[in-house]
Amino acid sequence: MSGHDSKYFSTTKKGEIPELKEELNSQYKDKRKDAVKKVIAAMTVGKDVSSLFTDVLNCMQTENLELKKLVYLYLINYAKSQPDLAILAVNTFVKDTQDPNPLIRALAVRTMGCIRVDKITEYLCDPLERCLKDDDPYVRKTAAICVAKLYDINAELVEDRGFLEGLKDLISDNNPMVVANAVAALAEIQDSSSKPIFTVTSNILTKLLTALNECTEWGQVFILDSLSKYKAADAREAENIVERVTPRLQHANSAVVLSAVKMILQQMELISSPDVIRNLCKKMAPPLVTLLSAEPEIQYVALRNINLIVQRRPTILAHEIKVFFCKYNDPIYVKMEKLEIMIKLASDRNIDQVLLEFKEYATEVDVDFVRKAVRAIGRCAIKLERAAERCISVLLELIKIKVNYVVQEAIIVIKDIFRRYPNTYESIIATLCESLDTLDEPEAKASMIWIIGEYAERIDNADELLESFLESFPEEPAQVQLQLLTATVKLFLKKPTEGPQQMIQVVLNNATVETDNPDLRDRAYIYWRLLSTDPEAAKDVVLAEKPVISDDSNQYDSSLLDELLANIATLSSVYHKPPETFITRVRTVQRTEEEEYPDGIEGGYAETSSTLVSDGVGSSPPTSTTHAAAKPPTAAPAPVPDLLDLMGLDGDDNAIVSVDQPATDAGPPLPVLLPAAKGQGLEISAQLVRRDGQIFYSIMFENNTNVPLDGFMIQFNKNTFGLAAGGPLQVPQIQPGTSSRTLLPMVLFQNVAPGPPNSVLQVAVKNNQQPVWYFSDRLSLLNLFTEDGRMERSTFLETWKSLPDSNEVSKDIAGVVINNVEATIEQLGSSNMFFIAKRKNGNQEVLYLSAKIPKGIPFLIELTAVIGVPGVKCAIKSPSPEMAPLFFEALETLLKA
Amino acid sequence: MISQFFVLSQRGDNIVFRDYRGDVQKGSAEIFFRKVKFWKEDGETEAPPVFNVDGVNYFHVKVVGLLFVATTRANISPSLVLELLQRIARVTKDYLGILNEDSIRKNFVLVYELLDEVIDFGYVQTTSTEVLKSCVFNEPIMIDAAHMPPLGPAALFMQGNKRMPGTAVTKSVVANEPGGRRREEIFVDIIEKISLTFSSSGYILTSEIDGTIQMKSYLSGNPEIRLALNEDLNIGRGGRSAYDYGGSSGSGAVILDDCNFHESVHLDSFDVDRTLTLVPPDGEFPVMNYRMTQEFKPPFRINTLIEEAGSLKAEVILKVRAEFPQNITANTVVVQMPVPKYTSRVSFELESGAVGQVTDFKEPNKKIEWGLKKIVGGSEHTLRAKLTFAHESHGNITKEAGPVSMTFTIPMYNCSRLQVKYLQIAKKSKTYNPYRWVRYVTQANSYVARI
Repeated sequence: MSGHDSKYFSTTKKGEIPELKEELNSQYKDKRKDAVKKVIAAMTVGKDVSSLFTDVLNCMQTENLELKKLVYLYLINYAKSQPDLAILAVNTFVKDTQDPNPLIRALAVRTMGCIRVDKITEYLCDPLERCLKDDDPYVRKTAAICVAKLYDINAELVEDRGFLEGLKDLISDNNPMVVANAVAALAEIQDSSSKPIFTVTSNILTKLLTALNECTEWGQVFILDSLSKYKAADAREAENIVERVTPRLQHANSAVVLSAVKMILQQMELISSPDVIRNLCKKMAPPLVTLLSAEPEIQYVALRNINLIVQRRPTILAHEIKVFFCKYNDPIYVKMEKLEIMIKLASDRNIDQVLLEFKEYATEVDVDFVRKAVRAIGRCAIKLERAAERCISVLLELIKIKVNYVVQEAIIVIKDIFRRYPNTYESIIATLCESLDTLDEPEAKASMIWIIGEYAERIDNADELLESFLESFPEEPAQVQLQLLTATVKLFLKKPTEGPQQMIQVVLNNATVETDNPDLRDRAYIYWRLLSTDPEAAKDVVLAEKPVISDDSNQYDSSLLDELLANIATLSSVYHKPPETFITRVRTVQRTEEEEYPDGIEGGYAETSSTLVSDGVGSSPPTSTTHAAAKPPTAAPAPVPDLLDLMGLDGDDNAIVSVDQPATDAGPPLPVLLPAAKGQGLEISAQLVRRDGQIFYSIMFENNTNVPLDGFMIQFNKNTFGLAAGGPLQVPQIQPGTSSRTLLPMVLFQNVAPGPPNSVLQVAVKNNQQPVWYFSDRLSLLNLFTEDGRMERSTFLETWKSLPDSNEVSKDIAGVVINNVEATIEQLGSSNMFFIAKRKNGNQEVLYLSAKIPKGIPFLIELTAVIGVPGVKCAIKSPSPEMAPLFFEALETLLKA
Repeated sequence: MISQFFVLSQRGDNIVFRDYRGDVQKGSAEIFFRKVKFWKEDGETEAPPVFNVDGVNYFHVKVVGLLFVATTRANISPSLVLELLQRIARVTKDYLGILNEDSIRKNFVLVYELLDEVIDFGYVQTTSTEVLKSCVFNEPIMIDAAHMPPLGPAALFMQGNKRMPGTAVTKSVVANEPGGRRREEIFVDIIEKISLTFSSSGYILTSEIDGTIQMKSYLSGNPEIRLALNEDLNIGRGGRSAYDYGGSSGSGAVILDDCNFHESVHLDSFDVDRTLTLVPPDGEFPVMNYRMTQEFKPPFRINTLIEEAGSLKAEVILKVRAEFPQNITANTVVVQMPVPKYTSRVSFELESGAVGQVTDFKEPNKKIEWGLKKIVGGSEHTLRAKLTFAHESHGNITKEAGPVSMTFTIPMYNCSRLQVKYLQIAKKSKTYNPYRWVRYVTQANSYVARI
């Protein structure tokens, strides 16, 4: 028994360090141990005890494990600031790795891996090689993780020394703990490498599935997660895998259950037998429900995952809606998620029960929860046509309680219900109007005004009602002003009498002369001009029939949902965002000898001593060892109103991004899209480019004004492929007379424009000094053809045959000459159109090629031409023949180039 | 893999901080605490257990008022991290006997040693107290348990049940007793949390039992143990018609919806005779978790009556009836009911001769609260509360008040009728006869009556 550790924190007496020094060199073991403890205590509260380095080091050679561990702890912390002294420890380390006690061997190799000093790393290799083959599993499992540590410090060294092979051998180890760590290490290494290092083959699969049963719960998660990337060859293999994994659903650890669910869901995609699927769904339901009995934190993660799962496979929990009813003591974040799932599971069969619950929630104490419950009722109305009437009557009941925020929330959802079922429930407008005076929230006010404007002809006193709002027009928030403007115009168009005419004068005056809100002014001027030039046209525009809105309870489009489902049981499934949008792995930089701590002061030393709290124990390399460029972008860019959407009807998740650190890019000149003459001196040239399988927008700004320009932001309008900025636009302040060029990574399928495909790409750019600039670019399939578009000859033939003739489109491309077949093949190949075969037909050359665009849509291409003679006939077959015009456009551009 | 692990006090002080990978900045604890303390997003005022700030992902769980936190930059399994945080708390408690700020500070060297064995380079190695014993060498320093409030589910037994040795549940599984010898004993606790909602007319709308068989063993030499459960225990309600399954609250089979077991449990004979065999590892752990939605007899019936007395007054009559046997006593019962927002004053009237009952009007959140120290099985208690309103009601008071919720603890009673029929310890010798404690307790999770 060593007494209270806290006594080591006792107040600093005079000469503490010399005192400790003396104790560290004491001849008594216990005294030395106590002294090291005091040193560690000082270290954790941020005191600088680095001057005792050699004295502490002297205590390292001991058989006492407790003492040895303390010394190692000290070493990890200070080795970085004292690399030269740390070398003194190397001998003991290396000796310890050969100690007869496996705990000491493991401890030594574990600690050496944590000391990120190159000189120590050099000495790590030999012991590590031995430890990977050690007789003791505790040592082998520690060595496995150590390979991952070393890879993080020096990847080349790991590859050169063949440690990757050593690690792969451990997959066949007879100890499941070792297997699990080897899998974890390999998965991490694979994650940070572009080379194929660790792919799960069917052989590995079998081994890992066997190890699964024997592993600790944590090992089971490592293994399941690495197996989830495995693609089964056919339904039979998938069924076999599922059978091996299903018992994991009974595990008490929620992480094991969710990882098993992920694996099963993934394999289910391959299974076509409805019986098997039904059976699996039945097996997954109870364990998923059981997750909701765990701690609220676990429940939250489970609920976020279930939210995704029910979007794809609603049958799994269709009969379990009761378990998602909120308990009064659930934390708010659990309640909110439960509500979402209740909406998703609501059906004609259970809606009465669900409404009863919602009604109950709507009278609870927590305001935010109440609002969400009211909104949920509205969303059910929109989702279930047959239940809409019942939902509305519940909303009306709630309005009658006259609780202010309930009323306002109800009005907001009723507006949506009107848009979903036009001309059905307008009889309730009178009831709504009774609550007019109590509205004080912008969104509720705006909704009410929209309703009045939209149904002005049915509300006798619509003009009076609107007029009551007009008095306070200048003080209203923008949202309300915009709705007031539109509603007044609607009223005037519907009832062009004297009253409304006066009102419109007031509103237009207020919204143009008296305001400095450009959105409001622009909209007002458009109305003004429409009304003054062509009132009939104004009617067509303003009173146009609105598209009916639809149920948004399954809110994710299928490609995003696919991606999120593939990421079940990861953070991605909690945020409901693809991993690349929030993952910013910081790679520790490979340091060269020259830049490494030139004076030995940089690093943990100074930093630790200035830290107030007890954070000194860990090995935390100073931030200077990390990439400057790895500064993480904000997880979710702040929503900025849609620049392009004039009517304000949609556009909630626009990828507007803000200026961050600049990244420059030099390259060939870009086409000018916004000439300086049009851009008040700002010239913008840009082009889409494809590099390493990633699409970028290469963009250059040239500042010909006489002021510096900064705060650049960019946004892309909805387009056929939903191209949008994948990160912040990184442009520094541009001084007059200079230019800046950058590469903006792009992402696909963010904001897909409906309708037939076209190549228009509309771009808006703004900066802090100028108005918003709009310009048009074209998107070309050449940027979209993916690197994996090559088809086997047999696949090509099969696909060609399997597609109906109606999917074939052909076109003669005039004015193009093929002079050299090989050169053309190469040219096409460089744009990811892959050559498959050719044949001669008389004097004509016929070429067959394949290409693929994202979402895996293939193009099968047949080119027919006579060498040296202008004119190429092109025929394509594709599951998406509507893309043909875009394809021909792209091909023509390429062949003419 | 995780990058950092730390423990913060309620005030945000760093109690433990361990960095495993060095890829997250050191100020993360402060960033985290500020974010959690001033959380306001999507209309929620309480931070969810997982969130992202500037590319760093933060996970946290609250254990006995402490925040256990982990950070990472990778897209890892959030359930794994949250389970891990809970498990670290449990292992620490196993070692220290009592988990709180004081005990951690006193044992910081031991805690760091534990953390080094539990996690390597951000990867969980083991959280089994049993395994850790072989590679952790610091000895715990016990803090004086007498002044500490008891923690964890086992603490429930310490009230109203004098037969149980109170200190047993707060002793470390590794430390020796002051006398040098450890007492041979084992605790098996059947803990059930019930969630139940009554409709306004008294029907049961939803009911659920979340149960755990928790074990804490102080047996030396880790002997094998057999636990026998009800022989007619059924698992999975699939295949039964709704007719079979409902309505049987008196007798009949116990039907669990789902259950799971600790990895040390062998289920070889479970399907045959419903016995579990296991070699209990050291420390506290759940042998079995189960969930049941089969109808059961609710321990309490709640009756609420609201009578309007003019436009500015109303009377609320709350009646609570205990439906369990007379030899059982519930304790620490609290009944709560939100009243209309415009309630300005409440006066209470308890039944004559009421003992150990307190009433309160929680003005800020407009709730009436009725506390009862004990309720004996079969008894009924009534509270009358006269409400005075600041202005006239909107007409329907029942819509603006309620629901009534209840919290309670009932020792030696469980609603599911799941039982440990016997607990057998493989004998080392004839004289070996360790103490065996099998204890039941029922607690309210969400016990609500709508009005």
